[in-house]
Amino acid sequence: MATQYIIPIASGKGGVGKSTVSANLALALAKTGAAVGLMDADVYGPSIPTMLGITKPPEVDASNRIKPVEQHGLKVVSMGFFMKPGEAAIWRGPMLHKTVQQFLTGVAWGDLDYLIIDTPPGTGDVTLSLCQSIPLTGVVIVSTPQDIALNVAQRAIAMFKKLNAPILGIIENMSHYVCPRCGQREEIFGVGGARKTAERMAIPFLGEIPLSTPIRVASDEGKPIVLSQPESPGAKAFTAVASHLAAQAGLRAQQGAQVKVTF
Amino acid sequence: MSNTQAIPVEITRAGERDVKIRWQDGHESVYPARELRLKCPCAGCLDEVTGALRLIASSVPQDVHPLKIEQVGRYAVTIRWSDGHHTGIYAFDYLRKVCPCCSDKRQATSDK
Ligand SMILES: Nc1ncnc2c1ncn2[C@@H]1O[C@H](COP(=O)(O)OP(=O)(O)OP(=O)(O)O)[C@@H](O)[C@H]1O
Ligand SMILES: [Mg+2]
Ligand SMILES: [Zn+2]
Ligand SMILES: [Zn+2]
Repeated sequence: MATQYIIPIASGKGGVGKSTVSANLALALAKTGAAVGLMDADVYGPSIPTMLGITKPPEVDASNRIKPVEQHGLKVVSMGFFMKPGEAAIWRGPMLHKTVQQFLTGVAWGDLDYLIIDTPPGTGDVTLSLCQSIPLTGVVIVSTPQDIALNVAQRAIAMFKKLNAPILGIIENMSHYVCPRCGQREEIFGVGGARKTAERMAIPFLGEIPLSTPIRVASDEGKPIVLSQPESPGAKAFTAVASHLAAQAGLRAQQGAQVKVTF
Repeated sequence: MSNTQAIPVEITRAGERDVKIRWQDGHESVYPARELRLKCPCAGCLDEVTGALRLIASSVPQDVHPLKIEQVGRYAVTIRWSDGHHTGIYAFDYLRKVCPCCSDKRQATSDK
């Protein structure tokens, strides 16, 4: 697998919009002409297939590797493709670790510029296993203003730091309410919490996504807002975040080291 | 953000089993194989929340040694060990922090 940037999207707790952000960022990156893979590693509640309106399962190629489903210009693989309802409970420990590995090596991703990985809620087994078994470019933390206020995002960041997983940046989701009729912005939990926290923790701040009903509706209908309403404030916010993400990923790739290993 | 000290230039063998890292600032670290195995940072060996060692030292063979070392991304290496273990990602920052010849000094001055 030749993938330039591998970027898991994670959070301190569930329901903050990881899947929404993953899908829209992947689409925004693909729009710039990049080859983008989207891996849905949420073994507890895979939602990417629904968000992208994927109905058919992936095929297997001649050498028995899974061929990602091509949808809206993305290459998509979801844990949901391989699970029966109620199966989630068995994905633990070594089994989980193996499954995560298979996702990376057993899938014919081809050459990708970006592999965006949607992770399950919280900093649980799957996310940790992922971060400990693949060459990440950096983890992106999605947080809501509430999350920041309650220190949930900060704890997640501390957790990843402890694992020595690089952090690419923080995104604030549902940061303010945009009135769908007049476009007026209203801050509901106070402004700039994530930005300040990012600054304080010396982590890049990648931007804010407004809380707006069209974002949710578009995902529910299987065509995320970046595709269905590219001129909307929500889509523009995702596009802006995607470009910051791309810049940070590029920077990150230049840092660190190419080491000569002879062992 | 990675500090300039923690950039390795070369990772090689020291003696038969041990690991040597030459760093960009010229420092050389030599990690006795078993010591490095016991410092595995993976979730199975180290509790990721408390930092406490989960691995039971007596369960690790005395002659444990790396079979293969591979770079991971631009920030770490993985080590395939002779006892079959291979899930640890050793970040360069971490390796530098646990350098045997530096860590004594470090502990005296500051621990984070
Ligand atoms: N910016 C937003 N504006 C409005 N609704 C949003 C926004 N972001 C996400 N949502 C909605 O919030 C709900 C949760 O979002 P999503 O499923 O993306 O969260 P998640 O973090 O992936 O959840 P889980 O942890 O369960 O996987 C969904 O109904 C989604 O459509
Ligand atoms: Mg989700
Ligand atoms: Zn280990
Ligand atoms: Zn030293």
